[in-house]
Amino acid sequence: MKIYDHTQNLGIRVSTIQIIAFVLLTILGARLYYLQIVRGEYYDEKAENQRIRLIPIPAPRGAIFDRNGKILVDSRPTYNVTLSNEPIKKIDVTDRIDDYAMGLNVDRQYVVERLNLIKKQNEFETMVLKENATIQDITWVEAHSMEYPELRVELQPQRVYPLKQTLAHVLGYVGEISPKELEKPEVREKGLRPGDIVGKGGLEQYYDEYLRGKPGYRKVIVDSRGRVQSEIETIPPQAGQDLVSTIDLDLQLAAEQQLANSSTKRGVVIVTDPNNGEVLAMASMPSFDPNIFVQGSTTPEGRKQIAAYWQDESRPLYNRATQGRYHPGSTWKIPESVAGLQQGVITVKDSHVLCGGGITIGNKFTRCMGSHGAPPLDLAITKSCDGYYYHLALKMKIEGLIQMVENFDFDKRTGIDLPNEKISQTPKTWMPSILKREGKWSDIRTVYASIGQDTVVVTPISLLRAISSMGVHGRMYIPHFLKEFKPIGAIGTEGESTYIPERPGFGFPHPEPKIIEMTDEQNALILKGMWGVVNNGGTAGSVKMANWEIAGKTGTAQNSELGSGGAKDHAWFVSFAPAYKPEIAVLAMIENSGFGAANAGPAAKGVYEAYLQKRNGRQTDNQDVAKK
Amino acid sequence: MVAIIEKRDLRDFDWLTMLIAVAIVCFGVWQIFNAQPTENYWSKQIIGLGIALVAFAVVGFSDYRRIVDAAPVLYGIGLVLLVLVLIPGIGMKINGQQCWIRVPLIGQFQPSEFVKIPVVLMLAKYFGARKSGSLKLKEMLIGIAILAAPLGLIMLEPDAGQAITYFPLLAVIFFLSGIKIRYVVITIVAGIVLAPAAYWAGVKSGKIKDYQRQRIEAIIDPESVDPRGFAYHTIQSMITVGKGGLTGIKGDTETSQAKLKFLPEPHSDFIFAVTAENTGFVGCISLLLAYAILISRLVAGAREAPDRAGMLVIMAIAGGMMFQIFMNVGMVLGFLPVIGVPLPLMSAGLSAILSTFIAIGFVISVKMRRFVN
Repeated sequence: MKIYDHTQNLGIRVSTIQIIAFVLLTILGARLYYLQIVRGEYYDEKAENQRIRLIPIPAPRGAIFDRNGKILVDSRPTYNVTLSNEPIKKIDVTDRIDDYAMGLNVDRQYVVERLNLIKKQNEFETMVLKENATIQDITWVEAHSMEYPELRVELQPQRVYPLKQTLAHVLGYVGEISPKELEKPEVREKGLRPGDIVGKGGLEQYYDEYLRGKPGYRKVIVDSRGRVQSEIETIPPQAGQDLVSTIDLDLQLAAEQQLANSSTKRGVVIVTDPNNGEVLAMASMPSFDPNIFVQGSTTPEGRKQIAAYWQDESRPLYNRATQGRYHPGSTWKIPESVAGLQQGVITVKDSHVLCGGGITIGNKFTRCMGSHGAPPLDLAITKSCDGYYYHLALKMKIEGLIQMVENFDFDKRTGIDLPNEKISQTPKTWMPSILKREGKWSDIRTVYASIGQDTVVVTPISLLRAISSMGVHGRMYIPHFLKEFKPIGAIGTEGESTYIPERPGFGFPHPEPKIIEMTDEQNALILKGMWGVVNNGGTAGSVKMANWEIAGKTGTAQNSELGSGGAKDHAWFVSFAPAYKPEIAVLAMIENSGFGAANAGPAAKGVYEAYLQKRNGRQTDNQDVAKK
Repeated sequence: MVAIIEKRDLRDFDWLTMLIAVAIVCFGVWQIFNAQPTENYWSKQIIGLGIALVAFAVVGFSDYRRIVDAAPVLYGIGLVLLVLVLIPGIGMKINGQQCWIRVPLIGQFQPSEFVKIPVVLMLAKYFGARKSGSLKLKEMLIGIAILAAPLGLIMLEPDAGQAITYFPLLAVIFFLSGIKIRYVVITIVAGIVLAPAAYWAGVKSGKIKDYQRQRIEAIIDPESVDPRGFAYHTIQSMITVGKGGLTGIKGDTETSQAKLKFLPEPHSDFIFAVTAENTGFVGCISLLLAYAILISRLVAGAREAPDRAGMLVIMAIAGGMMFQIFMNVGMVLGFLPVIGVPLPLMSAGLSAILSTFIAIGFVISVKMRRFVN
């Protein structure tokens, strides 16, 4: 180099720059080696984790059918706006609350709740922000997809109750599992997660495990903003099992019609098959529309309606048949008669007990509605002689009544397949606290208890179970709605990690009935009395039907617990027919309507008429078929 | 022009240097395609290469000494361009930076990329004329002044990324103009000591903006700084590089970091990450080797330069190129802060490829005249 100058060491300086260049390149090479070779797998995994998402596909719940295959509950696909956590996990979105609420027409408070809930969840969780999205909602979400990538529109199954108020208490409804529920370890064990839809009340809750399917998922690739780019694989969900219930929709509609036609429009009608405990109809009024709970929980109007249901003093949300407890009044005399015979206080040969027009305890006279002399048991039942039972109960003593309570399972739940069944309350329940308070169990309490007042309140279902057993030689079956769960096929191939095994079908297990011990003669005597109630000048003569012998018992229960002072009595009619070979049992109870025979009797009769119409129609059909 | 190219010119023409540079650009085009297959950046880059080769030939076959003589004029034009870009209406504002001039047909160009060349020529002209002995203070001040004028204008845009690439030009010129070694040592020591102190003072006084601070913190510990915020680019870049492994993702472009938009600016500033993802360690090391050969060729050319000015031009260009490579790849590999320095010959961008080829043209021109005089 001509310009080299020894004073400046130019050659060395140029070399120095070249060496520095090589050193820098070597540093880069070393760093590359570290990132790509040493840590390559780590970054590969990181890259995969940030681009792969599992989007759950909710499984449709099993449908619910009546015994003839008519649909009672179904699921339909609906567009939901979902909120995913990932894009908003790390940012403050309080300024979006109003936008969401306005844009989707959802309750602002609800949006706040949702955001609080989802922010506590895993990064990749999604939750429904609005169900039943309208075209406007979908358009709004699409239009804001750049601003709010956390919102997505997804097609998901939604529960529908096409019958609305009909059978609402039996069916129940579904909703998102509550955070409180999720705290329970047994719920966590089932793999339930926030946002999952579970049954709330009714069969939906009782058989939730079987009705609920197993969600599938879509494995997708997302871009940096969480937008789905492509799908890697789809594991379809396994639908829940279909439930065939014992309900006969025609009878159910007839039962509800009877309640709707009643004077107070409040009460219960239950129809069972006393031969096996199947519940054919269970109506409780007033009722509610389960669809409101499914669809309305996100909208301001829906929430208002739900709040109104809860605050309504006529308590439309509770199932009077299994959760209501009422004085049974004179219907109570049937189990009592059995107990009198069982305990030997009276016998079939000599069942006469003095009526005397009433009884005097201390200086208080409690009267009978009539004066029946000293009637035999069957006549006492037919005429509903209070005096007879006052004296009978005093002979049986309160211990005898408690024995009867235990014998007829009034101290237990019936075991019906509905959640939150209440237990009847009887002298057995009250004895300890009354002894503590009053020092002794006074005779007057025994007298009141003999006619189903004072310390006796029972659930309608337990009363029907006890009384209808008279028609089937004392066999008390467990009342139930489950006829059959249909099987559902497996998903995927066995041995793979995504395999979901099939779920076999099954029916109600039919445990052995509880048997009320009595001789045929004893049974016949009681049946004679109950037959007489309707067919032999008894209290419910007005219910008598041609060619259809009903055995029953009326009840007119005074009530003070409502605190309404002049409230009318609860009217009862508990029955089965045909009297000597029962096909169905019907209980009707109309709240605060007055006399049993006049108010509950016609309701039961209406149900029988509907039953016969259907039964005879079917027979005619069969004959037609036979002819052909 | 072809007519005036003599046989001797072609014999002395540095084919290898040119071929390496063109090869790197072609490799870069492939990576730009990998980064944004649906966009036309890669085809634009091919057009850019064509234009750059023409410019390269013009400069390469010219006599560099004439161009060096014209340095003051070119320097003046450069300053005018840097002023023009600041005038609203002429300069375009992108991402808050006003560093583009809209040109009909071509689209847009970035004066700060080109002004490096007149600055190098100006410095070479001044320092190439000096004789032996150590650098004097006055000379240093003049050197600083030559740099300061365009630098000040670039900082007004503001474009710190471009501005920073001007410093190594001066540093190389000073170093090769006989600056006393003790000044070099003092500068390095002072840099090591003062940089953290200046950073601290800058943060305290608010001179260093929040986003700048977080970018720096992001490289110290990227995963503890908010990974969705300022460390995002650094983390995603490292993931992209690491994911490439030994031989790259082999065509699985559907899930590439660039395709899924995890990697920002994949065709320009982060092109090296795309290269790493697609070709792995093997491809990256090959690329770095190509740069090493290119720089070696330049340095070898500098050693054979017929005069000091020619040597300084080549070395300043080589130094500047090396500095950009290190800043850019260091950023991609997550140990230098995210500053918008493009990777020479690889990043998509007409201005960058054009200015780089013009610079290489100078090198060729100098080499071709090594036996003259």
